[in-house]
Amino acid sequence: MQEYKFQGQYHLRKVFQEDLRRAVSNLEYDLLVPIPVTDHTMKTRGFNQVTGLLEGLHYTELLVHKNKQKEAQSKKDRHSRLQTKQPFTIKQSSDLYGKTVLLVDDIYTTGRTLYHAAALLHEVGCNRVQSLSLAR
Amino acid sequence: MKLDELYGRRVLFPQVDSFPLNDSRLQALPTLRVTSKNIICLRCGTVSNKSVVAMPRDQYYCPECITLGRVSTLDKFYHVQEPNQFVIPEQILTWTGQLSSLQATTSEIIRDRMERHCRQLLWAVTGAGKTEMIFAGIAAALSRGERVAIASPRVDVCLELYPRLQAAFANFPIALLHGREKQKYQYAQLTICTTHQLLRFYHAFDNLIVDEVDSFPYAANRALLYATENAIKPDGGLLFMTATPGKELIHQIQQKKLLVSYLPLRYHGHLLPQIKIHLAFNWRKHLLQRRLPARLIKELRLTLAHHHCLLFVPHVADLQPTFLALQRVFPKIKFTTVHAADPKRLEKVQSMRAGKYQFLITTSILERGVTFPEIDVFVLGADDQVFSSSALVQIAGRAGRSLKRPTGKVNFWVNSYNRRVREAQRQIAYMNTKGRRLTNG
Repeated sequence: MQEYKFQGQYHLRKVFQEDLRRAVSNLEYDLLVPIPVTDHTMKTRGFNQVTGLLEGLHYTELLVHKNKQKEAQSKKDRHSRLQTKQPFTIKQSSDLYGKTVLLVDDIYTTGRTLYHAAALLHEVGCNRVQSLSLAR
Repeated sequence: MKLDELYGRRVLFPQVDSFPLNDSRLQALPTLRVTSKNIICLRCGTVSNKSVVAMPRDQYYCPECITLGRVSTLDKFYHVQEPNQFVIPEQILTWTGQLSSLQATTSEIIRDRMERHCRQLLWAVTGAGKTEMIFAGIAAALSRGERVAIASPRVDVCLELYPRLQAAFANFPIALLHGREKQKYQYAQLTICTTHQLLRFYHAFDNLIVDEVDSFPYAANRALLYATENAIKPDGGLLFMTATPGKELIHQIQQKKLLVSYLPLRYHGHLLPQIKIHLAFNWRKHLLQRRLPARLIKELRLTLAHHHCLLFVPHVADLQPTFLALQRVFPKIKFTTVHAADPKRLEKVQSMRAGKYQFLITTSILERGVTFPEIDVFVLGADDQVFSSSALVQIAGRAGRSLKRPTGKVNFWVNSYNRRVREAQRQIAYMNTKGRRLTNG
């Protein structure tokens, strides 16, 4: 994971794809939503490590980062992670009412990221929000 | 970051961010060349298929040299052309040792060729005193204001070279660079580094010396060869040093692309001990029943009566069975096993030096860079493919290194004769023929 995400070895995404695909197929959802990366990450890392894992599946990039650049969660300690404010907004909120959403992230630590995303989705009317992460 | 950290170096930086330095000499250079099918890394020269290394939004990266930071189309190299901005001390060489007349002759040839920025090879037998022979060449280059580096594929070799070079050039700060060093990079006229670190340099050195060129991982590693060429200035000189040049170097000598100087005698003037081969068919099968070749036990017994020795085996997995088998035969003798990942490796080697052990059973980790005086050398399974011919020559070269006992036994046990073993014997015989010619005039 270190080599894939932080060293940027994008070809390693294939290592995890099969496991994740199997896990996703066991869950019921209307929308498969990856946790996004910032614009700055796209311009330095060059890819979203979550969508890389979901390659080949039908997913919806519903969430976007409010800020262009953020301080990486992985560089903070637990306390300041838990203090993080809502970092996401929703791209389009039209037909989300009553939908079941499966959120996907690469690493689960305090759950703060997924919690923020889920809160936002509930706010716009989603009925059920589940989450799946590769590692914790 | 200081500007001099970019002299003759290339530093990766994201295109999207603004570089923290501003100077008219600063150049932004491309990181990759993108063709219709491939991308070519401008740091390590690796050609990759576009489809394998593509990221979203038509961006690409090099998967080969990634441990030094990923080279991608999202980044640029920042570089300042090497300005040779050095303050040269008055006294350059602080080494006061003496070279033998043979070493002195070779040393002079090397110095002259370094002055003309030639591509050359110093082919000197194990234990010839290579390092001391290049001091004159380095000293002359430093006095001309040149930037000089000595690189080796092995960290151990760098760590061994550093104090010796620092003592010989006491008035120069030396930059020591390798992956395990957390010390910050510093611009210096003299650099000692692993060959991997050369990937970070660009047209920096007026003279570059690569020691132990035949050893892993440098030999046959195209990325490191590419980095070597890039690290030297376009008109710079290159000196390879080895006791065991591989096919590629010998080919270059034959094509006259590389000048060569031979030193076929050790510093004490004696010939290399030749390898003696014994057949030990299916030795590993017998070893699992705790039996070793009878001849091996006999030779070990003879050696241990007066001397110490090293016993090489091909794999880490062979260490313990060999140890157990020998424990039965030599219950009173102190010995142990050692391998690359052994946490007590340095300690054990130190104890062997201090005479606490009478012998070590080892993998090829002790093939080079270590000197135990007056030892004999045995290899069980010398025909195993982990031992290249140059590794076997290096192993044989552990014997007979001291003036007090300039000879020694070198015995190999093999399942069968093979090309690598024969090549090793042939190389030793070749250098000994040259050596004999020298001593007999």
